[in-house]
Amino acid sequence: MQLTASTLPVSQGTPPVQRTVMEQRAAAKLKGRKILIIDDDRLNIRILSSILQNEGFAITEGDSGERALELYEEIKPDLVLLDVVLPGIDGFAACRELRARHGDDTAPIIFITAKQESDDIVEGLAAGGVDYLPKPFRRKESLARIRTHLQNRILGEQQKALVDQLKAANQAKNRLLGMAAHDLRNPLASIRGLAEFLCDGTVGQLTADQLDLANTIFETSQSMLTLLNELLDVATIEAGELKIHKEPHNLTELVEKAVYLNNINANKKNTKIVFSPPEEAPIVRLDQAKIKQVMDNLLSNAVKYSPPGSIVNVRISGYHPAFTVAVQDQGTGIPENERHQLFKDFTTLSSKPTGGEKATGLGLAICRKIIEAHRGAITATNLPHGGCEFSIMLPA
Amino acid sequence: MKYEGKILLVDDETHVRKFIGLILKQLGATTLFEAGNGRDAIEVFKRESPNLVLLDVNMPIQDGIQTLREIREISADCVVVMLTSLANRQTVEEALSLGADNYIRKDTPKDEILAALRQTIAECFSVD
Repeated sequence: MQLTASTLPVSQGTPPVQRTVMEQRAAAKLKGRKILIIDDDRLNIRILSSILQNEGFAITEGDSGERALELYEEIKPDLVLLDVVLPGIDGFAACRELRARHGDDTAPIIFITAKQESDDIVEGLAAGGVDYLPKPFRRKESLARIRTHLQNRILGEQQKALVDQLKAANQAKNRLLGMAAHDLRNPLASIRGLAEFLCDGTVGQLTADQLDLANTIFETSQSMLTLLNELLDVATIEAGELKIHKEPHNLTELVEKAVYLNNINANKKNTKIVFSPPEEAPIVRLDQAKIKQVMDNLLSNAVKYSPPGSIVNVRISGYHPAFTVAVQDQGTGIPENERHQLFKDFTTLSSKPTGGEKATGLGLAICRKIIEAHRGAITATNLPHGGCEFSIMLPA
Repeated sequence: MKYEGKILLVDDETHVRKFIGLILKQLGATTLFEAGNGRDAIEVFKRESPNLVLLDVNMPIQDGIQTLREIREISADCVVVMLTSLANRQTVEEALSLGADNYIRKDTPKDEILAALRQTIAECFSVD
């Protein structure tokens, strides 16, 4: 027999609905949740109230839209059952106001009403309600709907808590990275400098063996410093602190300098970086230090991943005010299935440096963040005759 | 090339004092005093009246900013150059506004530190 408003004895409590074990467990989790019922019809309120109280919910009642707004602030319910036709402001208006005040944190609002035209339902959902309970109440159906929406709300709360935890953990990680990097950098810089003094004879001549050791100390501390700098960059960027200061610069000069410096290293592998500058020097607004960092990264990668004795080609193309710098290497190119990992943190691909050099896996990720901060783009394309071309596009 | 004049090097880290000290020697500085913290630095400063102070920003007990203030109370024209690392940009700006003359980063390659110190010394001392 359907239990409806007209057949239900008003004064008695009603027995809980029959459930499966799973339903019982789910219902147990919802016990004690707060429901706010707003209806100007006292009879309806008493019926709903007693059903819901029997299920273990904590009920608060109100009889107008205005009361709805007041009581919501007072008790912060987990769910609101809201009549549509009310004295004063109607249910839709109250719903809109609650959504305006609390946004996505608003408790789910279910309209209870005899009005069931499709247009009314659409208006209700547009006002921010999540469902409709028609009068007269069908008890099982109403309870099922109420439980579903409550469970959704709980899931939403859990998700938000998780996200907050993750954010906090991420910030802590960045702070830790930053601190560690800073504390380790200074001593390492000194070690590198003191090793250099050993090597250049400032504190006396060394035997060949001693010199070899001193050189090793110098190079090892140098590569540790590079890694630390990259770690620091990542931490800074992730903490949202990457700031670029754009000023007009001569792009040809910048590239020339980077090519010159990187050729010193390239020479050791018999590799040569060749740059043919464009006829007119392009003036581009950019952060000089950061773009230099990107160029250093691309050039050193090109040298690293090309076999000894290679030629690395650098050219500038484009038209004012947007220019592209392209670096072509003679390595093995980027395997198709690894392409998507190319610019991510800490990934190195299956290709290995050809001279035993180290790769930290951070460089390209940092490059991408820097170029994106310039509103540009960085891409990698395999060349038809072998090797890969990395391009950075810098807009005005 | 040798420089007349006294230099006071203040840094709490031994490796920094050794490293910067060697660079200064290579540049021809003859009279070098060292201090490992702000308090000792002020004692030496009062005793020796150096022409140039190289002052670390980050020190325990009494930091570079406080030491700078005390130095400036004693001498308005002694050249004070802050020694900094990557992390200290804000402190450096504060130091410059309080009367420091310049800053040098101690975590850059030796050649860069050498060039920066050479310029600093040339600007504040006469050559012997």
